[in-house]
Amino acid sequence: MTDSSGPRLKPKEKFNFFQDQRVRSVFYQLLTAGIVGYLGWYLISTTAHNLEVRGMNTGFGFINVSAGFDPDFKLVEYQPGIGTYGDIFLIGALNTLLISFLAIIVSTFLGFFIGVLRLSNNWLVAKVALAYVEIFRNVPLLIQIVFWYIGVFSLLPVVKKSIDLSFGAERVILNNRGLYMATPVPGDLFWLTLVTLAATIIGVWIFRRRAKKSQEKSGTQTKTLLPSLAAIILLPLAVFFITGMPLEWNIPELKGFNFVGGTSVPPSFLALLVSLSIYHAAHIAESVRAGILSVDKGQSEAALSIGLKSSRVMSMVVIPQAMPAIVPPLISNWMNTVKNSSLAIAIGYSDIVSLFMQTALNQAGYAVEMVGMTMAFYMFISLTISFFLNIYNKRVQLVER
Amino acid sequence: MAIVTKEKTAERPAPISETSVFGWMRKNLFSSAFNTLLTLFTLYIVYLTLSGVFTWGIVDATFIADNRRECYDNSLTGACWAGVIAWFDNIFYGRYPRDEIWRINFGLFLLVLWMAPLWMAKVRGKVLIGATVVGLYPFLAGYLFAGGDKGLFMQVMISAAIVAFAINMGNMLTGLFKNVGLNTFLINLAGQSKASDKTRRNVLLGMFGIAFVAVYIWQMGWTAERVGWTRWGGLFLTLVISGIGIASSLPGGILLALGRRSKLPVVRILSTGFIEVFRSVPLITVLFMATTMFPLFMPEGFVLNKLVQVIIAVVLFNACYMAEIVRAGLQAIPKGQSEGAHTIGLGYWGTMGLIVMPQALKHMIPNIVGNIIGLLKDTTLVSIIGLFDLLGMLRSISKDVPWLGLHKEPLIFGAILFFIICFSMSKYSRHLEVKLSAGEKH
Repeated sequence: MTDSSGPRLKPKEKFNFFQDQRVRSVFYQLLTAGIVGYLGWYLISTTAHNLEVRGMNTGFGFINVSAGFDPDFKLVEYQPGIGTYGDIFLIGALNTLLISFLAIIVSTFLGFFIGVLRLSNNWLVAKVALAYVEIFRNVPLLIQIVFWYIGVFSLLPVVKKSIDLSFGAERVILNNRGLYMATPVPGDLFWLTLVTLAATIIGVWIFRRRAKKSQEKSGTQTKTLLPSLAAIILLPLAVFFITGMPLEWNIPELKGFNFVGGTSVPPSFLALLVSLSIYHAAHIAESVRAGILSVDKGQSEAALSIGLKSSRVMSMVVIPQAMPAIVPPLISNWMNTVKNSSLAIAIGYSDIVSLFMQTALNQAGYAVEMVGMTMAFYMFISLTISFFLNIYNKRVQLVER
Repeated sequence: MAIVTKEKTAERPAPISETSVFGWMRKNLFSSAFNTLLTLFTLYIVYLTLSGVFTWGIVDATFIADNRRECYDNSLTGACWAGVIAWFDNIFYGRYPRDEIWRINFGLFLLVLWMAPLWMAKVRGKVLIGATVVGLYPFLAGYLFAGGDKGLFMQVMISAAIVAFAINMGNMLTGLFKNVGLNTFLINLAGQSKASDKTRRNVLLGMFGIAFVAVYIWQMGWTAERVGWTRWGGLFLTLVISGIGIASSLPGGILLALGRRSKLPVVRILSTGFIEVFRSVPLITVLFMATTMFPLFMPEGFVLNKLVQVIIAVVLFNACYMAEIVRAGLQAIPKGQSEGAHTIGLGYWGTMGLIVMPQALKHMIPNIVGNIIGLLKDTTLVSIIGLFDLLGMLRSISKDVPWLGLHKEPLIFGAILFFIICFSMSKYSRHLEVKLSAGEKH
C-alpha cells in the first residue's frame, strides 16, 4: 500500500442536489403530503359546497333532537318522540356490544371444542369436525345469517303454539316472535345471598391459592375442585332458603296476541347469535388446531410418559403452551365477530349500523356525521381490543425463554 | 445353557390386526369402550343429518313444476328446486338481455384462455401474461359486458388487449409445440436471428405495431349493443366485483405495505393510518359510506353510478387487508436479502421488485388466497345496499309471484355454489403451497 503512510485523502463528496438521499427523502415526503393534503382539501371543500347546495344540515346538533322511531330491541329506557338521536346511537352501540359479546363467548367455547375434536384419535369424530369447519367457513356469513333468520327462526310456531323450553314451567318460551324468558326479581333480603356468594368466592380463591402453595412446597396435593364447587353452590343456596327465598319471577304471560313480561329477544337476535357463533367457531377451531399442532410432539409424549392422563396432558401441558399461538388469531376473530355483527342490517336486528347508520341517517340526513360516528365507534372497539392484545403479547414474550 | 440363534430370524409380516381394514377400524374407531360409544353416537348423528338432507333435498324434492303450488301438490316435505331451476338464468346472469348472454360467456372464456398459459410449464413470459390479464383484459371484458359507444381511449385499449391476447395465444402455441417464445419464433420466421438486439427489437415492435393498426381498423367496424349496469346481476356481477377487487387490491396492498414499512415518516404515517382505519371498521359501513358520502365528494354534475361506488369501496377495503398480509410476508424475509441486493447495486425498487417482494408473496400465497376467498364471500354484502348480485338474485326469487315465499332452497343453492368455489380455491392454494415449498427444499 503506497498511501497508507500519509494522511488518507477522502474523495471529495460532490453534493448533487438530485442524487442526495436527504433531499430526495424530503422531496418525496413533501410530494406525498402535498398530494394527500390537496385531495383532502378538495374533498372537504366539494363536500361542504355540495352540502350547502343541497341545503343539508351539518353539525352535531342532531344528537339532542328527538328521534321519531322506536327500535324493537333496546337495553335502555327509551320513548319514541322523547328519546334523542344520541339515545339511538347508545341503543345501537349497546345492542352491537351485547350480540358480539354473547357470540364471542359461544363461538370461543364451541371453537375450542371443535378444534380439539379435529385432532381426535377417533377418525370419524375428526372427519365430522373437519366437515363442520369446511362447510361453515366456506359459505358466506351473510347467507348463513339470512338462512337462520328466514329458514329457521321465522318458521317457528306462532304465539298460540309456542314451544316451552323449560319443560312445562313456562319460564322460557320460543315462538316466531322471539324468545321470552322469565326474569328474576330480587326481594328484600336477596342481598344476603349475593353477599354470601361473593364471600364464598373470595374464600375459595384464598383456599385454592394456599393449596397450590403447599403443593409447591411439599408436593402433597389437596383436592380443591370438589370442595370449592360445593361451597360456592351450597352456602349461598342455604342462605337463600334461610332468608325465605326472597326471589320472584317476572314470568312472560300470554296477553292478547303476544307475551308480556319477562325479557324477550327478537328472532333476528337469535338468528344473528346462532350464525355468528357457528361461523366464528369454525374459524376459531382452525386457529386452535394450528396452535395445538405448533406444540412439539415431545411435550405430550413426555407428559404421557410421566403418567398423566391424556385429558390432563391436553389441559395441563399442551393447551397452555399452545396459548401464545392461539390467542392472537383468537382475538382477531373476536374483532371480526364485532365487525360481522354489523350484518344484522340484513335481517333487521337493531344494531348500530342498521339503527343509526341507516334508519336515523335516512330520517335526519346528517350523512357525514353519522357515518363518521359509526366508524369511530368500531374504531374505538378495535383499538381497545388490540390494546389488550398487545399487553398480552408482551406478557407472553416475557415468559418465553 | 444359552439359546443363541446364529441366523437372523425371518421377518414376519405385520399381524393381520394391524394391516387389514379391521385393524385400521379397531385402531381408529374402536380403540376403547369410550371410543366405541363415541363412534356409534357420531355415526348416528351423521346418519340422521345425511338422511334428513337426502330425503328433503332429493327423494321428496320437486324438480319440475311451474309454481310453488305445484311443488306442494307434489310433496309437502321436500325441497322445491323447480323455483331455483326456473331462475337459473337470473341467478347466473342477472337481468342481462337474454340475446346478449353469449357476451358474458365469451368474456369468461377469453379470461380462461388468457390465463391458461400460466399453468403450462413450457410456456415462457408468465409475468407478462399475468400483467396483461390485470392491465388489459379488464378493458376488453368491460366493453364486451357493457357495450355502447367506444371512446378513443377505449378503442386504443381494446385494440391493445386484442393484440396482447393474440400474442399470448401465439406465444402459448410456439411454447407448446416449438418450445420457444413467440419473439424468438417470429425473429426466426423473419430470418433475423443473427441480427443485433436492436434490429430484432425493432422488427418485433414493427410486427406488433402493424398488428395493432390492423386490429384498430377492424374494431372500428363493429360495436356491441349497450347494456346498462343495472341489468348486470347474479353470479356474473359477483364475479365482476370480486374480480376487479382482486385484481386491484393486490397492487394497492403492495403499495400500502411498502408505504407502511417506508423510512419516510410522512409516507409511513399516512399509510398506517389509512390501513388501520379501514381494517377496524366493517365492510358494510364502508359500503354505506360509499353510497351516502361519495356523491357529496364529487363535483357538481358528476355522478358515479352505484356499481362504481361499490367497487371503489371493495377495492379500498381489501387493499388494506392485503397490505397487512404483504407486510407480514415482508417481515418474514431476512434482512440479508435486501442488503445483498443493495451490495450488487440494486436500488429500492429493484431490491423490492426483484428480490424481496417475490419471496414475500410466495410465502404468503395461502393468506393471499384466503383473503381472495374472503373477498368473494364479502361481495354478498352488496346485496344489502341494493345491487342484485348472486345473493340479491337468490333473495328475489321469493318475491317472484309463482315462487312467492320460496326462501330456503335458493339460499341453500347459493351456499352450495359458494362452497364449491371457495373450497376448491382453498384446496388449490394448499396444493400450491406444498408445491412451492417442495421446490424450496432442493
